[in-house]
Amino acid sequence: MKCDRCNKPATIHFTEVRDGKSLELHLCGECAAESGYVQQAHLTMNEMLNEFVKAKTGMSNRDALVCPDCGMKWQEFKDTGLLGCPKDYAVFSDQLRGVIENAQHGATHHTGKTPAAAVAPEDSVKLRQAELSRLKKDLTKALERESYEVAATLRDQIKTLEAALPPGR
Amino acid sequence: MNPQIQKLLGKNGEWLASTGPESAVVVSSRVRLARNLADFPFMTKAGRSQRAELHRLCREQLLSMPSPRPFFYIDMEKTDQVDRQLMVERHLISKQHASGDGSRGVAVSDDEAFSIMVNEEDHIRLQVIRSGLQLRECWREADTLDNALGQHLRYAFSDRFGFLTACPTNLGTGMRVSVMLHLPALKLTGEIEKVFVAAKDMHLAVRGLFGEGTEAIGDFYQISNQTTLGRSEEEILAEFADVILPRLIAAELSARSVLEQERPLMLDDKIGRAVGLLRNARLLSSEEALFGLSHLRLGVAMGRVANLTMPTINRIFLTTQPGHFQRTLGQPLDGDARKAARASYVRQLMTPSGG
Ligand SMILES: [Zn+2]
Ligand SMILES: [Zn+2]
Repeated sequence: MKCDRCNKPATIHFTEVRDGKSLELHLCGECAAESGYVQQAHLTMNEMLNEFVKAKTGMSNRDALVCPDCGMKWQEFKDTGLLGCPKDYAVFSDQLRGVIENAQHGATHHTGKTPAAAVAPEDSVKLRQAELSRLKKDLTKALERESYEVAATLRDQIKTLEAALPPGR
Repeated sequence: MNPQIQKLLGKNGEWLASTGPESAVVVSSRVRLARNLADFPFMTKAGRSQRAELHRLCREQLLSMPSPRPFFYIDMEKTDQVDRQLMVERHLISKQHASGDGSRGVAVSDDEAFSIMVNEEDHIRLQVIRSGLQLRECWREADTLDNALGQHLRYAFSDRFGFLTACPTNLGTGMRVSVMLHLPALKLTGEIEKVFVAAKDMHLAVRGLFGEGTEAIGDFYQISNQTTLGRSEEEILAEFADVILPRLIAAELSARSVLEQERPLMLDDKIGRAVGLLRNARLLSSEEALFGLSHLRLGVAMGRVANLTMPTINRIFLTTQPGHFQRTLGQPLDGDARKAARASYVRQLMTPSGG
């Protein structure tokens, strides 16, 4: 099979989902690296490309990573400290791990509020439950601190949220 | 000049109202939330048309959301340089938002208690300010506004990382809690360095009057949380409001009483010189004015200055800032002419009942 973009043999085959449609892609290593599909390819392919890119440009694979959605490069992030799109957190997840832990003093997971709405219904139940457990945790802490005013507000929020959850949960 | 901004000028605005709790030391409290829309790139990668579309979408949602107080919307591209500077001085927008370019705007409540920047570093930067120490009140309203906006805007959010932000330092809650503190006594007793060290140990950032990258002028320090991930909003607030701030306030107040008891002459000398400077200077820079106002504020807070009130000091504080002063003058003046005009303006305000 030949590469979709040039006539060299295609070594990377994968399916991309864009706008709800799936698209078969067959690329040679060079075109795959150039178009930023590297990180979506299979792990062994990644490793292969890693060697390829290193040999070709003298850069490590890490620096050659590109977000397929926004075109952000890891090196660009290192220069500016700003990411290009929400997807970058997944695209650069390996590289970002250390950055996040460093900036957030070791924290790795969000435990705060969740978005108000505009999520799928099944997610919404999950989110409300997460929100509920957060509020309950905060309530315990508030009571420990004897912040009764805060506790009262939290209790009201819990009541409202519990009423909004489907029965029997 | 934008007529909406003009309307603000007669007042001191919320952050300089000096009516809140602990206002002898805490000038203002602020809670800021960073949000981004899921279906757009962050600002760094948003092209012209995406920026415009983002702006349009956010503006539309803002204008139709149920708001706890009336507000207006300002298109930054249609706002002149002086108006932008005015908004920075009133802490309604960041320096970055004022000097940036491209399609962007800000929603400001009539009483200046909240402002919501669109297309700053993140798509949405929502802030609530209150006079004095009122962090929980700020959070409550920020939470309400955030929920109102989040009803119709799909935020970029992940279960693991929470709200996704352009810079990983804002990740998670996207919440920055900050207070503007006036710490002149700690400076005079030479203990301010200890505060900085302690703040660093507690993972807090210390900045100047106008936030990031600005110096601490006139003993005003903005202190804020550095980490946004791993703790809930309430946990961040609780640590800040119940642990850190009481200590800082107690330290400043104890330094004030030490000065009062052990070095009253030095204290009154500093205050007296500030009064002298502001009442008698013929050429006054805005930094000199701030420096004098800091000691004057200390004197008023400690009841050691007669015939002057906190609102008057705040009025001078705000109206001598470059942007405000230029509006007062009505024309651009340079160098000594500007300093002379400022000196005469301050002299007038410092004189009780215009005599
Ligand atoms: Zn090819
Ligand atoms: Zn991206």
